[in-house]
Amino acid sequence: MDKIKLIIDGKEIIADKGTTILSAAKDNGIEIPTLCHSDRVALYGACGLCTVEAEGIPKLLRACSAKASDGMVIHTDSERVKKSRKIALELLMSDHTGDCVGPCSLNCPAGTDCQGYVKLISQGNFHEAVALIKEKLPLPASIGRVCPHPCENACRRQMVEDSISIAYLKAFAADEDMKENTFVPEVAPDSGKKVAVIGGGPAGLTVSYFLRTKGHSVTIFDAMPYMGGMLRYGIPEYRLPKKIVEAEVQQIANLGVEMKNNVKIGKDISFETLRKEYDAVVVAIGAWSSLSMRCEGENLNGVVGGIDFLREVNEGKRPDIGNRVAIVGGGNTAMDACRTARRLGAEEVYVIYRRTRDEMPAEKIEIDEAEEEGVTFKFLTNPAEFIGEDGKVTSVKLQVMELGEPDSSGRRSPVPVEGKFETLPIDTAIMAIGQKVNTSGFEEIELNKKGIISANERTFRTSLEGVFAIGDATNRGASIAIEAIGEAEKASKVIDAYLFGMDIPYRKPFVSEKEVTPEMLKDKEKASRAEMPVMSAEKRVKTFDEIALGFTKEQAIAEASRCLECGCHDYHDCKLIKYANWYDIKPERFAGMKNIFPKETKLVSIERDQSKCILCGLCVRICDEVAKKGILGLVGRGFTTTIKPEFDNDDVISFCKDCHKCADACPTGALKIIEK
Amino acid sequence: MSCSDCHKSDLSLLNETLEKYKNIKGSLITVLQKAQEIYGFLPTDVIYKIAEEMNLTPAKVMGVATFYTQFRFKPVGKYLIMLCQGTACHVNGSERIEKAITEELGISDSETTEDGLFTLKNVACLGCCSLSPVMMINEKTYGSLTPETVREILKELKEREK
Amino acid sequence: MRIVVGKGSCGFAAGAGRVYSALENLIDDKSVLSITGCIGMCFLEPIVDIYEGEKLLRRLVKVTENDAENIIIAVKNNDFSLVDNLTISEKDEEFLTKQTRIALRHCGIINPESIDDYTNDNGYKALRKVLTSMSPEDVIEEIKISGLAGRGGAGFPTWFKWNAARNSKGDEKYLICNADEGDPGAFMDRAVIESDPHTLIEGMLIGAYAIGAKEAVVYVRAEYPLAIIRLEKAIKDAEEKGFIGKNILGSAFSCSFRIKAGAGAFVCGEETALIESLEGSRGMPRLKPPFPAEAGYWHKPSNINNVETFANVSWIILNGGKKFSAMGTEDSKGTKVFALTGKIRRGGLVEIPMGKTLRDVIFDIGGGIKNDAKFKAVQMGGPSGGCIPEELLDTVIDYKKLSATGAIMGSGGMVVMSDSTCMVNMAKFFLDFTTKESCGKCVHCRIGTKRMLEILTRITEGKGKDGDIELLEELCLGIKDGALCGLGQTAPNPVLTTLKYFKDEYVSHINEKKCLAKECASLLTYSINPEKCVGCSLCSKKCPTQAISGEIKKTFSIDTEKCIKCGQCKAACRFGAVNVD
Repeated sequence: MDKIKLIIDGKEIIADKGTTILSAAKDNGIEIPTLCHSDRVALYGACGLCTVEAEGIPKLLRACSAKASDGMVIHTDSERVKKSRKIALELLMSDHTGDCVGPCSLNCPAGTDCQGYVKLISQGNFHEAVALIKEKLPLPASIGRVCPHPCENACRRQMVEDSISIAYLKAFAADEDMKENTFVPEVAPDSGKKVAVIGGGPAGLTVSYFLRTKGHSVTIFDAMPYMGGMLRYGIPEYRLPKKIVEAEVQQIANLGVEMKNNVKIGKDISFETLRKEYDAVVVAIGAWSSLSMRCEGENLNGVVGGIDFLREVNEGKRPDIGNRVAIVGGGNTAMDACRTARRLGAEEVYVIYRRTRDEMPAEKIEIDEAEEEGVTFKFLTNPAEFIGEDGKVTSVKLQVMELGEPDSSGRRSPVPVEGKFETLPIDTAIMAIGQKVNTSGFEEIELNKKGIISANERTFRTSLEGVFAIGDATNRGASIAIEAIGEAEKASKVIDAYLFGMDIPYRKPFVSEKEVTPEMLKDKEKASRAEMPVMSAEKRVKTFDEIALGFTKEQAIAEASRCLECGCHDYHDCKLIKYANWYDIKPERFAGMKNIFPKETKLVSIERDQSKCILCGLCVRICDEVAKKGILGLVGRGFTTTIKPEFDNDDVISFCKDCHKCADACPTGALKIIEK
Repeated sequence: MSCSDCHKSDLSLLNETLEKYKNIKGSLITVLQKAQEIYGFLPTDVIYKIAEEMNLTPAKVMGVATFYTQFRFKPVGKYLIMLCQGTACHVNGSERIEKAITEELGISDSETTEDGLFTLKNVACLGCCSLSPVMMINEKTYGSLTPETVREILKELKEREK
Repeated sequence: MRIVVGKGSCGFAAGAGRVYSALENLIDDKSVLSITGCIGMCFLEPIVDIYEGEKLLRRLVKVTENDAENIIIAVKNNDFSLVDNLTISEKDEEFLTKQTRIALRHCGIINPESIDDYTNDNGYKALRKVLTSMSPEDVIEEIKISGLAGRGGAGFPTWFKWNAARNSKGDEKYLICNADEGDPGAFMDRAVIESDPHTLIEGMLIGAYAIGAKEAVVYVRAEYPLAIIRLEKAIKDAEEKGFIGKNILGSAFSCSFRIKAGAGAFVCGEETALIESLEGSRGMPRLKPPFPAEAGYWHKPSNINNVETFANVSWIILNGGKKFSAMGTEDSKGTKVFALTGKIRRGGLVEIPMGKTLRDVIFDIGGGIKNDAKFKAVQMGGPSGGCIPEELLDTVIDYKKLSATGAIMGSGGMVVMSDSTCMVNMAKFFLDFTTKESCGKCVHCRIGTKRMLEILTRITEGKGKDGDIELLEELCLGIKDGALCGLGQTAPNPVLTTLKYFKDEYVSHINEKKCLAKECASLLTYSINPEKCVGCSLCSKKCPTQAISGEIKKTFSIDTEKCIKCGQCKAACRFGAVNVD
């Protein structure tokens, strides 16, 4: 056959005469996007994504049909081409209705594939579930126990009755996985690059896990005697047993991550040295100091910081806190502190909170359980002064508050009721009102106004070359563990690229989302949420043993089966979303009327969701030209064109059965194979 | 082929047309046009019959029939009002004419009055641009319309049917 | 003497049918009465011509059936004073005398239903010449010399397409005539078929000979029933006379002929969509390449031209390509037919040599704007074209010069607009048309035009936003670049040209929520001027929503909440007391 010579994106290419530009490019490793083209069916030209620019030709060419000719100079990624593809994708997406991923995943700061692993759990595939979780989160047994689960808060099942117990399911799968045949990720061959990670908490462990699996040599330096950071030193044993943290740390160590404890930067080793000896340094030191209230008497003995108190107990110490303990604050740390205080033997434990129960940031279950354990809540009060004798606190003077106008967070802000006070006799006061970052040893890094390490939110870079920072120690300060883990996972990719001399900032992927109302779910059968069995309150105040008793397999499978599977089955193979992310689209610019249809199962083994259809026509053409059945057809024209199966008789139904060629060809999730 | 819950038409009326065209490649549109002349619209069973006889799938026939505006799937009223949507008619106020028809009959484009008397159909340029705005009712053309004259014409037709 | 009634679609619409019947009833010698096609003076229909032999004695205009008796008497007595009041004015005659007619040379003169009328006027002479003395290559060469370009809009050289189809391999080739004239506001092709069907047939036969086709097909839109009837008759007559069929005029050339009626889809004017439709499929354009010249109808080499293009062919063969190319400009040769409509004083069919200006057509021939209103713009090329403003009225009619304005020559629709036409609403009108006619295949056209329409709609409803103009511009360029077929690629033109020349109207809709032309109802407020209102209550009686109230003989007022801005009060008021702002 005759050969021709052409240039595509600067690369000289020899191709057979008569070849299209699309296949000439493909044969040479250049991917030109297309949604409607398939070699198996006749040319069509609907999607307009494969446009390329040819020098000397004023119009853009569709690479799927335009023949390559000798001497052609083609650009597949010129600005004009990119713009054209981008607008095509934006238009397509503006008339595409569906959830790429479920609201659970979207709301998870680490983007874990909740729907995916819940589905695997419902099938009893616990190891595969853990493998999937660990694509984003290497500490599922720990996090599953303590995470305040933003996933569940977003769960759409709440519109039916109650959210899926996603967090506990995760812990359940991880526990099962740890029993035997524990999942071990693949570790890439050694890259020869060295990374120092400062801090062995959730962020540090996570970034180490992912950098290690990418083949880098990783060393964690931690100031404490054991790894785990706040998971170990901040969270009480009864919520997260140390042995769980240890086991998950060990799994990471087993991958070859070197772990050095009792090393304080600036004291045991200088930051300078680390920077010199390692190709990259990740600062993940957390926020380990308690915030003060700046109220009188705070320096008295017996007034302690919340996380300081929890750390001491978690180190195995049993501090003498007396019989009457007041905890100031309404968050999860306050709950951990008051419940720990009860376990240490204090009879009268108070939680002093300046708003009411409704405004408390702590998890509801934590509040309920604290109450069951005999904790007294003093709402609408705030410490005005700690009063002491001989330098030790004896009572606290409480200012009585009332709720005023809502503040910027939407919560009604407390205002003092003038002249109204009460006094509470106490032996210990625990201030659980917040954490701050201790940056000593890291003075060279630029801090933000709040005195926290400033790191770029997309590159995780600090002001120092080769130094990255993540987690509680950065930007907005302390948050929940899964936030830090999410950052760590994203940072691992950026750092990996950095180690090879590339700068690839994190970009939030575009996903399609749809609005769902309770009305749309009204036909779902109700199935109540599995409650986690717990130790009785009387028993648990006497011990630090874990209070959650765990699901049985049957419970877990039943619970997982409640999932509505909101996210698209085709998300990972969807060409539309893949290209949408190549071109960084903003379809909301073109928001307008959408073609929305109910799901339909008229095709025997295929579920059709026309709302996701992009009218590439592949299913119709495959059914006609490849399967030779012609069951599917285009109906109508213009914007409201749809695809419909046309049959009302049994012959055709059996004809359609088990063919699946249309679903295989669909570039989006509009066609789904179902087992009937 | 069978067709559940659809209209039962006298399919024998189609025989002559099918006989003439079924072996001529590419004559589907012509057959559909003849069928519509016979039945006034395209009933589902007729579509199935055509598909079967012409050795096409119903999906293909439906695809063609729904592509072209000439084809209807419901019976039309006794008076088919075809309102011209050409540029000249637009410039000379066809929007106001449409509004007047809608107000007078309570139907919008492609709808039929409950009594089955009138169907309104917006159509592509009728080519009588110098008489714009123009409408055709059945075979008769009415030009240089105003909202008032349209109302009068419709009232007269209604009156005739009383 | 002969009495000839103009019976084209336009004439029928104006009442020519009734006039003809009235004459027929009164006349004794029916042979005196005959018909002709479209004379082109639509504004004067129905028209009755009185001939003595070939000489036109009188042209009577705006005739009604009540005039029939007087006409008969006048003819009988050879005294036309009775019909002086119907006789065309000198000024109106200029409408025709200022034209140069080639494609329309027989229109309104011969009887379209008589093949003898056609052959008596040099009909089928060109075909005879071609078959007896010219090779297909000679024909193509002659067409090349003439400079004839596709009259459907794109202006592609006709000889080039013929040559490509001729050189394509294969014995089975097709010649197709695109008579799917779908531009709203264009009716040139219909007039040619209704008035002179044999010219089309002859042009097509010559084309078929040139490319080597044995089959010719005319794709006519279904909305042209009269054209189909006349063409059917013409084909039958031509077959009988041996102009169509086997061994035409004794030569080796054979060609069959048939008509295929469209079924209502503007997109079928696009040649590959037309082919799909001919094959009995959904009229969705195909990818090009391959071009129809290589793989068209049934994937065989095919050539497609429009009616007007073919209508020039026999004239060129008879008179020589040079005579044709002597007319026009350097880039555009010959004449062009336009359908002049809108707010024009004298609307109808105009054929002029290329190189005349828009002003010549609109003001010199068309007589300017109806009711002496102010000219604002002329729309050319329908949904694929654009609006040309007053300052460009001296633009020369020529493919390149017109394209440079952002509009196009198009197939010949020329819609004139006055200052009461809102240009944003005009753009919206075309986009509404395009979205309804989009085949739905490619993304840019299916969704892009829909989004453009949505943006234009919100602008005309006073909900336009900052950035809408930029968004429209971006969409326009995106669709131009990305759409599959010519229709999609040109769909943004009405928006682009109005944005180019009338941006102030967009800006005032968006920023000030004002429609300068007072056409966009949502942006208008109706009120009653107390100084002019006499309290007659007529407006309140006409108001369909009871928004107007008041006491007799006192000033009435409009409740703006209830007002639906239908304008009936303004139309009803005899004192000009209804203000619109």
